[in-house]
Amino acid sequence: MQMKRRDFLKLSAVGGLGLALPAGSVRMAAAAPNVIDIFFNSDTNVIDFWTQTVKPGFEAAHPGVTLNLVPAVGAAMNALADRSMAAFQAKKDPQVDILEAALPFYPPGSLEAGLWIDFSKAGLSNYSKLNPVSILSPAMLPYRGSQVVLLFNSDKVKSVPTTFPALVEWIKANPGQFTYARPDLGDSGACFIERALQEVTGNKPELFQPDNYSPATADPMFAKLWPLLKDIQPALFKGGEYTSGNTASIQLLASGAISMTVAWSDMALQAINQGVVPPTTDVGQLQDLAFSGGFSGLVIPTVAANRDIALKLADYVISPDIQNHVVEDLGGFPSIEWQYMAKELQERFAKVAPKSIPVFPANWEPPLFEAWYRNVASNIQR
Amino acid sequence: MSAAEPSLRSSLTGLAFIAIPVAAIVIFLFYPAALTIIGTIVHGRPGGGFDVSFKSYIFFFTDPYSLNNLARTLWTTFVALALELAINLPIAIYMRFTRGPLSAVIQGLALFPMFVPGIIICYALIRYLGPHGWLQSLLALVGINDYASPYLTPWGPVIGLLWDGMPLTLLTLISGLSGISDASVEAARDVGASKLRIFVSIILPQITHSLMIASALNFLGFFGQALMPFMLGPTSPEMMGPFMLRTFASVRDPLQASTQATITFLICSLAGLAYVRSIARRPKEDRT
Repeated sequence: MQMKRRDFLKLSAVGGLGLALPAGSVRMAAAAPNVIDIFFNSDTNVIDFWTQTVKPGFEAAHPGVTLNLVPAVGAAMNALADRSMAAFQAKKDPQVDILEAALPFYPPGSLEAGLWIDFSKAGLSNYSKLNPVSILSPAMLPYRGSQVVLLFNSDKVKSVPTTFPALVEWIKANPGQFTYARPDLGDSGACFIERALQEVTGNKPELFQPDNYSPATADPMFAKLWPLLKDIQPALFKGGEYTSGNTASIQLLASGAISMTVAWSDMALQAINQGVVPPTTDVGQLQDLAFSGGFSGLVIPTVAANRDIALKLADYVISPDIQNHVVEDLGGFPSIEWQYMAKELQERFAKVAPKSIPVFPANWEPPLFEAWYRNVASNIQR
Repeated sequence: MSAAEPSLRSSLTGLAFIAIPVAAIVIFLFYPAALTIIGTIVHGRPGGGFDVSFKSYIFFFTDPYSLNNLARTLWTTFVALALELAINLPIAIYMRFTRGPLSAVIQGLALFPMFVPGIIICYALIRYLGPHGWLQSLLALVGINDYASPYLTPWGPVIGLLWDGMPLTLLTLISGLSGISDASVEAARDVGASKLRIFVSIILPQITHSLMIASALNFLGFFGQALMPFMLGPTSPEMMGPFMLRTFASVRDPLQASTQATITFLICSLAGLAYVRSIARRPKEDRT
């Protein structure tokens, strides 16, 4: 009975219901020793990857250690971060060892307070192999990257645009055949408007840095973006309807309602492999300046009960061996430098391996997305 | 032993029984809600101390974007509510006065949505009603080619909400209709009353409470909905549910999100009040 209740509390925390419970109010039993609780903010393809590759390899190398892989998306991740913060303040065990695809910037102030482990000082043997472009914060250990691509039906799109102006031209020449997701939902749409922002500011991604956002800098740049997005709006699906996320975009393409959209590389490859989209579906990338992407990483609370084993696991995940699997099995980009990757992969990906994935800083996004809703989406004529 | 004593004791026992749920409601619902509402008006000053200001409300009620969202939410709620009652009342009356296998099948179909999670409904509706979906294919087969999908239009969430609210509405209406005696309907029929007359003079007055309860509960359910408008509805204007969620999670503006939530709460509490009055008045009327 006791066990059931605890499972229920855990589950309800994972389901986001935990938001209603103040994190400190429920007394939880201490985490089981050598069972690492990892919470995933990713789709099932990533959890499959961990189940099939990371978990067996690490458990074999560390007898007695078990990885407990728990899916927890979106608000549930925030609830877990809140719980970690409450446990940190109360000096208790948060029962969270690792958060996957989470950012160390939530709850506000947690990074400065020292809630998350600083990996640059954690003594990981593989840390020096990391590609510097993949590091967003020393408190997040990047281990897989993905990038937004054009996903299109090659039956209808005979020559795929390779520059942003060409894409705009294609959209206008084929009314109703393209759309992108709302920027705050699923991020592929975010990458589209961010690429458009880079276009109207002269293709200089370096203008957007994590530390240079201010309304005074951003607003004049945003002001240049709205005319472009409003200009293509009438040529989008249904005269300017935006999907509710990555899956909805892929579904519109699958039903043949549109011929081209933007999607994450790993989801696009998975949709093609699983036959969700017509067999004539293909992916493309802009050559003048690629769509931005990003790296997902691990964050570890400093108060995690299994902190030392969790750090060993973190080191394992960025080892060349696992990173080769990230490329081969997950369709992702490695977070370590290509020189440490398998020779055969280096050769195979020599042409497509980006020297860097343009990253759009996360702190620019909330004001950009909010302004998009007010300036672009609300001007649709109905 | 005085006569008052047992009734006092039993009322104490009764209070003890409800003490735990009432405490739970106060601790987990009213206290955090009150904190949130106070937080939208009382703002801490950086140097210490407090300011009382209504600036977030002034922003909401002077911001055309927020007002559009509120108007869209009210439109969606009332349209869905009116259609919900218009669709379910005939079904409920049919199920009340008809026995047999067909009525059982209809009852099963009508209550089916209760057992299907909303997110699955959303994806099913997209596949069915969406562009190039099954409905469009079926219509094309019989030569109707000008089908415009409600997906991503204001009618998308209305259809989703209709589906979602159907079981609750039906159950409430059927329970109201079950109070009507067959004898009264038959008596009216014997003296030659038309079906419309029976409905207006006998059925309708007796199910006013059920209609009120169904309306109030559906209003609450529809007004705060986040999933259906988010999955099936247009990008803009948004309904209050997704708008609050986005303001909180994506815009990271907890103050404005709390303000939207408070306004939503105040509007919904009107429906709550109607509901409470409706169920509180009933026993009194039954007694007289």
